[in-house]
Amino acid sequence: MQSRWDIGEPIKPTINEDTEQLKSELLTLNMGPQHPATHGVLRIEIWTDSEVVAHVIPHLGYLHRCMEKHSEQMDFRGVIPYVDRLDYLASMNMEWGYAITVEKMLGTEVPRRAELLRIMTGELQRIASHLMAFGTYALDLGAFTPFLYAFDYREKILRFFEEVSGARLLYNYMWIGGLWNDWTDDQLDRVKVFCDEMELEAKKYHQLVSMNKIFVQRTANVGIMSLQDCFDFGATGPILRGAGYKWDLRKNKPYSLYNEFDFDVPVGTGEQGVVGDCWNRYIVRMKEVTESIKIIRQVFDKLEPGPVMGKVSKVIKLPKGEVYVRTEAPRGEIGFHLFSEQDGKTPYRMKVKSPCFTHVSMLPRVAPGQMIADFVATIGSIDIVLGEVDR
Amino acid sequence: MHNVDLNQLASLINKNIPGANAVVNVAPDAKLDSSINIEASHITKTAQWLRSNTELPFNALQAITGIDWMESMEVCYIFANFDVNASRELILKVRLTDRVDPKVDSIMKVYPAADWQEREVYDMFGIKFNNHKDLRRILCPDDWQGWPLRKDYVAAKYYNGIEIYPEAKMNFEDRDFIVRQAMIKKAQETKAQ
Repeated sequence: MQSRWDIGEPIKPTINEDTEQLKSELLTLNMGPQHPATHGVLRIEIWTDSEVVAHVIPHLGYLHRCMEKHSEQMDFRGVIPYVDRLDYLASMNMEWGYAITVEKMLGTEVPRRAELLRIMTGELQRIASHLMAFGTYALDLGAFTPFLYAFDYREKILRFFEEVSGARLLYNYMWIGGLWNDWTDDQLDRVKVFCDEMELEAKKYHQLVSMNKIFVQRTANVGIMSLQDCFDFGATGPILRGAGYKWDLRKNKPYSLYNEFDFDVPVGTGEQGVVGDCWNRYIVRMKEVTESIKIIRQVFDKLEPGPVMGKVSKVIKLPKGEVYVRTEAPRGEIGFHLFSEQDGKTPYRMKVKSPCFTHVSMLPRVAPGQMIADFVATIGSIDIVLGEVDR
Repeated sequence: MHNVDLNQLASLINKNIPGANAVVNVAPDAKLDSSINIEASHITKTAQWLRSNTELPFNALQAITGIDWMESMEVCYIFANFDVNASRELILKVRLTDRVDPKVDSIMKVYPAADWQEREVYDMFGIKFNNHKDLRRILCPDDWQGWPLRKDYVAAKYYNGIEIYPEAKMNFEDRDFIVRQAMIKKAQETKAQ
């Protein structure tokens, strides 16, 4: 397998057939469930041949909360807090996907101001999520300072959300038919100022980390997920774009009002290393931060006063049928497959297609042949959130 | 949602895979999604054709879901084509009449993504996938009893000898409040009579 050491075949220790003690065998190593590099409660069973990974088996389910079963007993509005807890670092995007699903089935019109504010909050959340990914990734690789910078600015976004929704992580803010609460002009002005600051800050991060020699050596040519791997496993989001494929639902299958917006879809170009490695996945995220700022600025030009909640009846009853909606969350495509019965007040069945679940399933394909330290870099680069994997 | 003519696709499947018996499920409303039903025994061949054909290819598998309709089970595949010029999606369904021991062929050799998705369906619904190389529970513990997402699933009282929701640790205040309210209401009604 390709590794930055370029060792070709794993080096086998010389085996002395006569001596029992010198027999070489695979060593099983458990990474997790409380290992900091797994970003949550994921256990990975690694079979190592000296320092080289021979085989990995991810064990999931440590954070399984039966979310799909619970939602079958909740009314459609009551599911939203459960949906929040899927990807707890990007709750706004989870709520948004769910709200679109129910609205599509209900045939509700969302007011224009609500749609624009949804785009703004969604993109702010994307920046916050990518900052988290950037900070913890650098932390995984042994650099502590970027983590502090990233959390400083993530905190500012969380403050905005706290003001407008009352919660810092799990918002219950995007309701079916619109938004729970409007943003005041004062808050929007402060978001404008934040965008200017964030743009400079993103440049600073870029100078600080992206081309840092040690960082490049740790990430370039490591954990290569080729385009073929991505299609085999159905990978989406920064993984697919890092492999050099220009695919973004916001651009290619626009939902909400994204077709009115002008932005680029950054892809991995192989500036360092090769396309599809950890460095390219990282740089896609960093470039997306800048694109999100661009989108938020365009929201301010379009924003006009108006209602933020559409007309939805008190008890939501859906027709018999099914709907599958996918939206672009920071970690990839999140899809909700919702089934309802005639005049159903609760979902008959709701399947959540989570992006990280697919990405974790790619680990057994990419890991063999890597050094253990490189494997840690690979896990960090796919930016796992276990709330979404285990549901 | 689809960007694909389902009638054309169904006739193509019928032409290329004899016996697949593809039927289009037209949704009653335009805002809902339509799907295609095929025979369960032909799922592997159909998946192979969907990935490799040149007319309407689907290069990625998004999700596999099970649904329990009480009288039968259904496995629901969602395919997508990640192509800037020809983006399309397909919901493909397979109906399993045997609810006690449902079985269907695995498609993990065609789409490796199906590996974990099928394990999840097995974990939640007890649907077995023939020729799956590693079919075991994925989200629940290995020694879990029953299939949680089936409609007739009864929540377990004990797990490995540990009581789930022991009474000593339950908060009965809410429940008692509702009971008390009902009693007061009843008393008022009898008084009125």
